[in-house]
Amino acid sequence: MNWSGKRIITCIAALGILLLAGCGGHQQSVIDPGGPLAGRTAGLWWFFFWLLTAIFIAVLALTLWTLTRRHRGIEQESLEVTHLPSEQTESKLTRVVAVATIATVVILFILLIGSVVAGKANADLGSRAKNAMVIDLTGNQWWWQVRYDNPDPRRIVTTANEIHIPIGRPVEIMGRSNDVIHSFWVPNLQGKRDLIPSRVTTNWIEADRPGTFRGQCAEFCGLQHAHMVLWVIAEPEDKFEAWLNAQLRPSVSPTDSVKQRGQQVFLNHECIFCHSIRGTTAAGQVAPDLTHFGSRRGIGANTLPNTFGNLGGWIVDPQRVKPGNHMATVPINAADLQPLLEYLESLK
Amino acid sequence: MNTLDVGDLPPYDISSQSPLWWGQLCTAIIEGMMFAILIAAYLYVRLRMDVWPPPGDQYPHLLLPTLSLIALLISAPFSYLASEAAKRNDRAGMIRNLVLNLVFAAICFTLRILEWRSLNFNWQADAQGSYVWAFLGLHSFDFIADAIFTLVLLILILIGRYGEKQRLGVHVDSVIWYFLVAVWIPIYIVIYWGPHIFGSQ
Amino acid sequence: MNRMDKALTQPDVETGGVAALRHSWRHPGGIIGWFSYDTHQAIGMRYIVTAFIFLLVGGIEALLMRFQLAHPNSGFLSPDRYNEIFSTHGTTMMFLFAVPMMEGMGIYLVPLMLGTRNVAFPRLNAFGYWMYLGGCIFLYWGVFSNSAPDAGWFSYVPLAGPQFDFGKRVDSWCQMITFTEVSAMCVGAELIATIFKMRAPGMSLNRIPLFCWSMLVQSFMVISAMPAVMIASSYILVDRTSGTNFVNPAEGGDPLLYQHVFWFFGHPEVYIMFIPALGFVSAIVVAHSRRQIFGYPAMVLSMVATGFIAFGLWVHHMFATGLPQIAQAYFTAASLMIAITSGVQIFCWIATLWTGRIRMSTAMHFVFGFIAIFVLGGLTGVMLASVPLDLQVHDTFFVVAHFHYVIIGGSVFPLFGAFYHWFPKMTGRMMNEPLGKINFWVLFIGFNLTFFPMHILGLKGMTRRIYTYSPEMGWGTLNLLATWGACVIALGGVLFLVNFFWSRKAGKVAGNNPWDADSLEWAASSPPENYNFEHLPVATSRYPLWTPQEDFTVVTGLRNDRREVLVTTLMDAKPHHRYVLPGPSIWPLLAAIGVSVGFAGSVFNNWYIVWGSILTGLALIGWFWPRRPVEMLP
Repeated sequence: MNWSGKRIITCIAALGILLLAGCGGHQQSVIDPGGPLAGRTAGLWWFFFWLLTAIFIAVLALTLWTLTRRHRGIEQESLEVTHLPSEQTESKLTRVVAVATIATVVILFILLIGSVVAGKANADLGSRAKNAMVIDLTGNQWWWQVRYDNPDPRRIVTTANEIHIPIGRPVEIMGRSNDVIHSFWVPNLQGKRDLIPSRVTTNWIEADRPGTFRGQCAEFCGLQHAHMVLWVIAEPEDKFEAWLNAQLRPSVSPTDSVKQRGQQVFLNHECIFCHSIRGTTAAGQVAPDLTHFGSRRGIGANTLPNTFGNLGGWIVDPQRVKPGNHMATVPINAADLQPLLEYLESLK
Repeated sequence: MNTLDVGDLPPYDISSQSPLWWGQLCTAIIEGMMFAILIAAYLYVRLRMDVWPPPGDQYPHLLLPTLSLIALLISAPFSYLASEAAKRNDRAGMIRNLVLNLVFAAICFTLRILEWRSLNFNWQADAQGSYVWAFLGLHSFDFIADAIFTLVLLILILIGRYGEKQRLGVHVDSVIWYFLVAVWIPIYIVIYWGPHIFGSQ
Repeated sequence: MNRMDKALTQPDVETGGVAALRHSWRHPGGIIGWFSYDTHQAIGMRYIVTAFIFLLVGGIEALLMRFQLAHPNSGFLSPDRYNEIFSTHGTTMMFLFAVPMMEGMGIYLVPLMLGTRNVAFPRLNAFGYWMYLGGCIFLYWGVFSNSAPDAGWFSYVPLAGPQFDFGKRVDSWCQMITFTEVSAMCVGAELIATIFKMRAPGMSLNRIPLFCWSMLVQSFMVISAMPAVMIASSYILVDRTSGTNFVNPAEGGDPLLYQHVFWFFGHPEVYIMFIPALGFVSAIVVAHSRRQIFGYPAMVLSMVATGFIAFGLWVHHMFATGLPQIAQAYFTAASLMIAITSGVQIFCWIATLWTGRIRMSTAMHFVFGFIAIFVLGGLTGVMLASVPLDLQVHDTFFVVAHFHYVIIGGSVFPLFGAFYHWFPKMTGRMMNEPLGKINFWVLFIGFNLTFFPMHILGLKGMTRRIYTYSPEMGWGTLNLLATWGACVIALGGVLFLVNFFWSRKAGKVAGNNPWDADSLEWAASSPPENYNFEHLPVATSRYPLWTPQEDFTVVTGLRNDRREVLVTTLMDAKPHHRYVLPGPSIWPLLAAIGVSVGFAGSVFNNWYIVWGSILTGLALIGWFWPRRPVEMLP
């Protein structure tokens, strides 16, 4: 097998193309940070990446180079008989291996320091935070329950599958789970934190630019683990306050007869066993709060974008969209469906 | 070609030089790791609970378990003496000491069963119940298995159907017995003395 | 029944020469006889063949997964089926392929390398195989009766607990673990006893082949780590079937405790799969670069250190659970430290290759492939040791890429090299070398095409264990590429099978030592006789077959009319006593059936533990009941 320089370069080029195919700004990307925590981690990533890539190329080159080694004369003869090179060769090799080992230890130590420093800086965000906000995030099979905590109970906001945060403010996520282990992960903003039943885990996120950041459950939690998506929307402080105040208001009352009919349809069907809409008699606790459903981006933990058509398909046959999810299939008359959709989409 | 003649080496050896001794050592490591992990897990569970023993579980009694432990400890030297008799090929010695070993093992086990009947929680009650019964069940299973092994060896010696392999068996059996006794001591301390030492009262 | 009794009444002399040896070591005939085999070559081969079949089965499961993920929103597999398949794939590869395969190779090679005739406990060896086979049957019975595990290969609670997983799915996982771990622990114990006590005279500890060192380290790891997984799987099983509360949060149990106990096993487990492969690499590097290994003491100490350190790393699987910072820092340091021991070995191999006379056989190709792939995987492991990086890429395809690089690069490539290297010894014929090299390249290219893109997918946010994904995530191209790569790997597997079957029939006849290698297995015939060596060898150096012929010494004085071997001392391998091994026996199979009844039945009803124990007890009494006259002589 001939290892010509051309072959090696072709391989590296192919590798490079593969790499480049993946990079670049993307949602849910570890290397496209939207905040200081993910930024620090991404910086650590590139440090590790370049250093370790250099080491890999060096080790690979050395290994392949052994194939080009040719022995001459005396050494070859003695090697054939004793299966051992000369003593000088062995002691030279010992020196080289010892140096390589020491270099390995030093490099690993540097990586350890870098990692611990970065990790500590990220973890200390909480203790440095002066104007932090606290969000209770509870994982369920297969949706996210969101609760903006506040000492004043009148300012507690409950929603689902979507978090808004102000830019530049650290946010503490208090993680819980009502059933199995889930994991909260928004790669553009921060590393993940598991949500474990019978425990509370804490994590910090902070955005330093506006954006809509996608997160996904990162601990296998059953049939629809693949469809448990969370949006984190980072916006300027004033826009955030506006959103928060809008969420505090009770649900929008129906403004016309169609929407009124829709509300009646909702309240007269099994929907109320699971869902709640503040300002109506629906007060179910085991499914997402729908008070401001119309203002959310997605349906079914963002399995589908929130549009009329998708909502209709979802209500009529949730099991087709997200097989195994815990929403019952509630039969709705064709005549009732359109009013229901109009009502729900009006809940902004 | 040179030769190394081993014809005058004995065809057996009843000591720690036998491969079977190493096999039993590995068994002891396996079982020892198992109990060590269970003890660590038990303590982990304790640290997560505010009230220990959990509400409703009785505080363990100490008398019967301690008497049972004493009987178990007394049985150990007889196992050692049986093993020594096996090395010497002393049939009477083997029989006498295996019988005494089994007698004290039986006393230990009877006391243990009596103590079980006084526990007011079973393995379904709570985490403590599950662990206590896991310890009792696993150790007792090993205990009965080794007691049966010892009994079968005793029978073979009594009916005269034994050779050096069975004598090696007596020696190896004593290794297992030491292990069973030794591993019971920390388990006994953890489940019976534990609530007194690190309970919440 | 035993016609050897006649010969046994003669005085203790070497009797009958090779004919007697062949007679006392012969396999029994008939069907009962086949189930009674207890030679290490037969049992080792059974492990190897069975494990290889499950490699193929696991590979098919992987292909199914790849077909599902090749396109976004694919409807090829339902979420339920996908969850079962990825769980079964991981379980099969970890428990039914990787560890048993390494054990099978160890059982086959270690007695040959040590210069003895069998393992220390031949019937326990047979029992271990039947238990392993029982585990395979038990799991796949479940797979084909809608009870395949579906909570991942590590079955986290509460998802795997009684409240969230229904039927017998996780139960089949739990109990399969019990079967295979009993098997592994039997093999571990017997290999330790064999390596410590049954070496050739003169083969002191600093002269045993590196592969035997690797099996020794691995065996100690097996007996220390596997009790933990038996406990973890039993926690789940007993919680599910009997209402206990080991890991039920409502009554004081803790899901994190399960993770601690599981990973206390889980991390050593990956080294259990990896360390024997290090032994393969050393054996191949020495034989095919035709020089003594550079740095034998460093190699031994590295393997031993790896074995120890591996027990101190487990929490790096749990960085996302919110542990205290100081604990995270410790486990980061330990996880980085283990790179040192692996690094030392790589340096020593490179040094050996640098100054050797390399023969670029297929086996050597696989060694080079191992270095390339394993080092890359090890370096991504260094990344994963860092907590901030791990918190981003944990539970994504980056981790999937990492562990496939270290397992396939670190274990499977050396294993294929080992197949090409030892096939001549096992079958008496050479494998086809040109086809072997093509086989290597197909596997190498296919592997990298499949798994390299997964690093990128993980960085782009693709989490693990998702049955599908939406098109707007931009993951489609790389996933399609990975699926094509998997097809190339499958082609590589087919090429290997073609080479294997062709070579068995028509490969070049090998002779005893076609590679002119150094260790004792190459002194036996190809394939070895049941008794391995007509006279047991004496080892006068670390590389016995590279020692000049005049020095070659053999053992005399062992009886040939019964299965007799030599027991030597632990450190210096001085002859100590002779040791009579039992012959073929059906009792190991019967005992395994008894235990299997207990294990399999207890998934349905706890009383089966009692019935299984009684059956097993009776089988054990039969097993140990003395029959041959020699056993009853005082």
